[in-house]
Amino acid sequence: MALSNNNSKRAVLGTGVLALAGLVSTPVLAQDAQQIIRDRCLACHTESGSAEAPSFSRISEQRKTPEGWLMTINRMTHLRGLELSRDEKRELVQYLADTQGLAPDETQDYRYLLEQDTNRVETGIDQGLAETCARCHSGARFSLQRRTEQEWKYLVDFHMGQFPTTELHSLSRDRQWYQIASTETAAELSKRFPLQTAEWQNWQAADKTDLMGRWRITGYVPGKGAFDAWMSAAKTSEGHYDLSLKGHYADGTALAGEGKATVYTGYEWRASLTIDGVKMRQVMAADKQGNLMAGRMFTAAEREIGGELSAVRDQGKSGLVAVQPAYLRAGESAELTLIGQHLKGDIDLGEGVVVEKILSRSDDRITVLAKATGAEGQRSVRVGDTELAGLAVYDALARVEVLPKDAVARIGGAGGKMPKVRAAYRAVGYSAGADGKPGTEDDLRLGYMPARWSIKPADEVAAHDKDDKYAGSINAAGIFTPGDAGPNPERKMSANNVGRLKVVATVADGSGQVEGEGNMLVSVQDFVRRVLD
Amino acid sequence: MKHLKSLNKKAQLINKAISPEEVEDVVAMQTVVGCTATTDPGWELDPFGGLGSLCQPMESDLYGCADACWWPAQVPDTMNTYPDWGEGVAKADKDWRKLDGIFEDAE
Repeated sequence: MALSNNNSKRAVLGTGVLALAGLVSTPVLAQDAQQIIRDRCLACHTESGSAEAPSFSRISEQRKTPEGWLMTINRMTHLRGLELSRDEKRELVQYLADTQGLAPDETQDYRYLLEQDTNRVETGIDQGLAETCARCHSGARFSLQRRTEQEWKYLVDFHMGQFPTTELHSLSRDRQWYQIASTETAAELSKRFPLQTAEWQNWQAADKTDLMGRWRITGYVPGKGAFDAWMSAAKTSEGHYDLSLKGHYADGTALAGEGKATVYTGYEWRASLTIDGVKMRQVMAADKQGNLMAGRMFTAAEREIGGELSAVRDQGKSGLVAVQPAYLRAGESAELTLIGQHLKGDIDLGEGVVVEKILSRSDDRITVLAKATGAEGQRSVRVGDTELAGLAVYDALARVEVLPKDAVARIGGAGGKMPKVRAAYRAVGYSAGADGKPGTEDDLRLGYMPARWSIKPADEVAAHDKDDKYAGSINAAGIFTPGDAGPNPERKMSANNVGRLKVVATVADGSGQVEGEGNMLVSVQDFVRRVLD
Repeated sequence: MKHLKSLNKKAQLINKAISPEEVEDVVAMQTVVGCTATTDPGWELDPFGGLGSLCQPMESDLYGCADACWWPAQVPDTMNTYPDWGEGVAKADKDWRKLDGIFEDAE
């Protein structure tokens, strides 16, 4: 059974499509995948068209991400009796994502869901679609699909048949839910997310660059910190790569790992690696030239525990990719690390910034002691003939932004089968900018800053219910761990250890300090975790 | 409503949110991805953005939710999709440790 509620499947928690990465050793031939559909799916679906260009009912009228197709196949297995071998399933996901996927322009607004970066309140979701669809699951889940209008109607019918009390819920029973959903909503969805688009036609026609090679990567791992590394991708077959990764965290600790990657749809990078004994996943999108990739890396066991990831291809040319940290307080001497590749030539940190001492230097990593003077603002950092606008000089820290701004953690553990769902926080500093007022458009983003972390009740009700005592705690690395699952007899009505909290980051600035807050909802278990929620 | 006096916090919240503008705000409220606040009450939040109107502890009426397919994105619906979920856990408030989740298989 594809969907399991028994404990033996625990290992797959949160892995999603990424566990498919790199495990197919032979190229997927379209004919092979089409034959799998013929053999496995035509008991219910029908085939039309020619043998060379077949069309399969329902299947050919949709486009989805690799994760979207995986969810469809999982549902067919669980609910409709589909039987596929592991290899057949991988081949089908690859074939369908490659031939009926989404173009880069079609996924760019919703990458957070693919990256499992879901501690956010979605914006820009049409209110009608939010009330009809996104009140139970994310808006990105349907926004990452393309269908004919008839297929959108079938999707409404599926919901009605599978979850028949849908029309009795709040926001349903007060209106003709089914009628609205199957007419207005389906029409709106087909207008916004139609099967045929110029973006997809253009992407199908575009030349795709193979993603094998050496990549200079930078990223962040909660509890470990920022890192820079080299990742090499050795091609094993079309779209499949063996990976090896080696680098350093910002504190100098070494990091190393190996794994496998699969590229879907010509740009969707999915990798599964073991880094220093911890299984990690990478979800990135390559740019159209295939020279940059950006996305997120997170632990396989907890997809909430992750951070940004970017990769720049080694093209043999000089390039700066990051300055860590990305800020320098005027008048203070501080260590800066310039990260890049083939770094040769003189170091220039921009107007008024002096290199007091070069502490270490290699062709991909330079650490200096620097001191800034002059006006606030972004400086261009140069090494030889390469340049990066990556250093903010500031006088005073004015504002701290806590990321994620809105997050949910979930109680768990305590001997139960559902693990706790934690959350990872970071603090971003800003100076006030030319107008001297924090919180305005001209604030200068300084970058991620070390913070002291604490929690407090979100409001009077939360304080009265002692949410800060029961709902969880945050550690020095900014990782929030929620309370234990189960009724708590200490609380009124034996309530669970749920709560509404403010997560507070306190960042030192000279002799003072600045605080920022984020909203944390500690909630009950989510018993249904999809590849894409 | 003007002749009725709210006696507890939940009633006061409802009273406070009774103006049409506020009801509109409540209806339009979105929450963190993967959460639902509007299925009367929500699973994670109530329509007022708080926890006061939720079933608490959740275990006390869990099957009332699961059987009626009330939050199918958060609680396995035993009506159609996962009829066996909760089997052997007759009293969720006592045996909640035995309840497992649906973790969609990667393969």
